Amino acid sequence: MLANLKEWLQDRKQHLDLFDETKTAKQDNPLYIIGSLVWLSWMVVIVSGVILMLWYIPTTTGAYRSIEHITYDIPFGWLVRGMHKYAADMLIICITLRIYRMYFAGEYKKPGELSWMILFASLVLGMISGITGYLLIWNQRAFWAAKTVLTVPTYYDEIPLLGNTGLGHAITYIFLGGPAVGQATITRFYAIHFGISVVFVILAEVFFYRTRRRRLNLSPFVIVLVLAFLGWLSFERLTDMGRWANPNRTPLPILSDWYFLALYQLVKYMPPLWAGIAPALLIGYGMLVPFLDRTKETRPLERPLFFTVGMLALVYFIAFTALIMLNIAVISRDPPIIMAVTAVVMVAAFMWELVHRRRKARQAQTPPARPAPPAPRATAAAS
Amino acid sequence: MTVGRRRLLKVLTAIPVLGGLVAVLSPLFRFLKPNDGPWQIFTIKPDLPKGGAQVVGKTTALAKPWDFFYFTYVQKFVQYDPTGYKAANIAGVAVRLPKKVKFENASGFVGYKGETDIALFQRICPHLGCIFNFIPDFHEITAGYGGYVPPEFEKHALMGCPCHLSIYDPAFPNDPGNVISGPAPRGARYFEFEIRGEDIVVTGAELGGIA
Ligand code: FES
Repeated sequence: MLANLKEWLQDRKQHLDLFDETKTAKQDNPLYIIGSLVWLSWMVVIVSGVILMLWYIPTTTGAYRSIEHITYDIPFGWLVRGMHKYAADMLIICITLRIYRMYFAGEYKKPGELSWMILFASLVLGMISGITGYLLIWNQRAFWAAKTVLTVPTYYDEIPLLGNTGLGHAITYIFLGGPAVGQATITRFYAIHFGISVVFVILAEVFFYRTRRRRLNLSPFVIVLVLAFLGWLSFERLTDMGRWANPNRTPLPILSDWYFLALYQLVKYMPPLWAGIAPALLIGYGMLVPFLDRTKETRPLERPLFFTVGMLALVYFIAFTALIMLNIAVISRDPPIIMAVTAVVMVAAFMWELVHRRRKARQAQTPPARPAPPAPRATAAAS
Repeated sequence: MTVGRRRLLKVLTAIPVLGGLVAVLSPLFRFLKPNDGPWQIFTIKPDLPKGGAQVVGKTTALAKPWDFFYFTYVQKFVQYDPTGYKAANIAGVAVRLPKKVKFENASGFVGYKGETDIALFQRICPHLGCIFNFIPDFHEITAGYGGYVPPEFEKHALMGCPCHLSIYDPAFPNDPGNVISGPAPRGARYFEFEIRGEDIVVTGAELGGIA
């Protein structure tokens, strides 16, 4: 058992491909430079982050001012801050795109399971890094985002049958550093925000050292283009600071970072315990999908069920984001509609899968009518 | 002589090392441990919050029905740090209701012994902890809080949370502060209070909110 696992790990480790660094032949396809872009934006984030640390003051009284100071007084401070912010956004976008690419192109299948799992975990960690970093500005949006996110785990104490284990409150108190969002929370968030990158940059370096792969599979032209674009973004539209966090006043409407918006809308519709469990289930599905999807097919239309699930996730992500931006949620009306739509689509996908499998099986039984002369080894038997 | 010299030396060195580790980790453990819930090991008394009695306002400020004011109650938690305490500010609202009610919510915490028409709610939303607002005009709820239209008997001042649009009715019959719309699993939390002369004195707060 253990030996098997070790062998499995050994084999998958050989095929790790975290930043598309083995896809050199595919560089003319823009979908395959995403991996390198992940690495590039990550490096920009780290370098600009270290520069920001020189001036940032991680206290409730100093944080907001120090960021104002960085943006308006320090020469090129706006550039560093903008680069940090927009490169981080780019990092999340690239990882997300890459995950969708791997999903729809079936790249998570053998031998890519481990790569997929690591990337998926890095998306989750990237989002955690995003939300912890967001609090550091100490403005209204950040404050309330942090507070609501950290209240979610307290509902884990209400899981039926399990009873009150105190685990949920323990998680919350550990992150908050006490009973409220305050100084201890900033300190801890600062450490987490910074620590995630430190740990992972070391792991990534070990990986590159061991495998002797190229870090950046990009032409200098693309690199310069990306950097120039980020610089232009920070000049053109540096994020506005919002207002100083006020623990006595929740703003209306309240928004979070863009990649959390859909989740935010979902929370309006669900009982809070489910709102805590649903993301865990989503992460669980993401991590396990290579083992759930057992066929060898990689083309999306050849595996209807998983294709539909992926599309559904994408559509809901976009729809919920749009809904929350418009501040629309009629809590008595929407959830039944959403449930009904999901159920219908899932049943349809299931039927499609069954029909598809039956057709495949029939095809496999009847031998190919006339074997094509140039390729005697037919591929139809593969399934 | 079953225990070799090497072994003995190893054990002897291990003791101070382990001891040191415990010494380093124990305050950390104490620091990370939650203040409530059942994991109350290694403490003599449970870490319950203490706020003491605090005067938060005067009854004269609540002359007519639906008069209200906001206040802040400082709750102190026992904590492992040099001061020994950690304070959490709990935002609250005091409101005069149009008729007398009894305070008893689902979890059995009583805000006021007997009947009263003054209600003190914690403004920490029982959903995910935002601070909800007291909204004197219910039209504002319909306009800004997700389009909720209250039924006829609830067309009066309501409380609404900006985060996920939970709506509370401060004058809900038999259960003031009950949730009438939105994802909150329970009604607003109470303060425990007494009225001493003209002073409204908060003596305690229902546990559970993340301030
Ligand atoms: S925090 Fe108030 S409704 Fe979610």
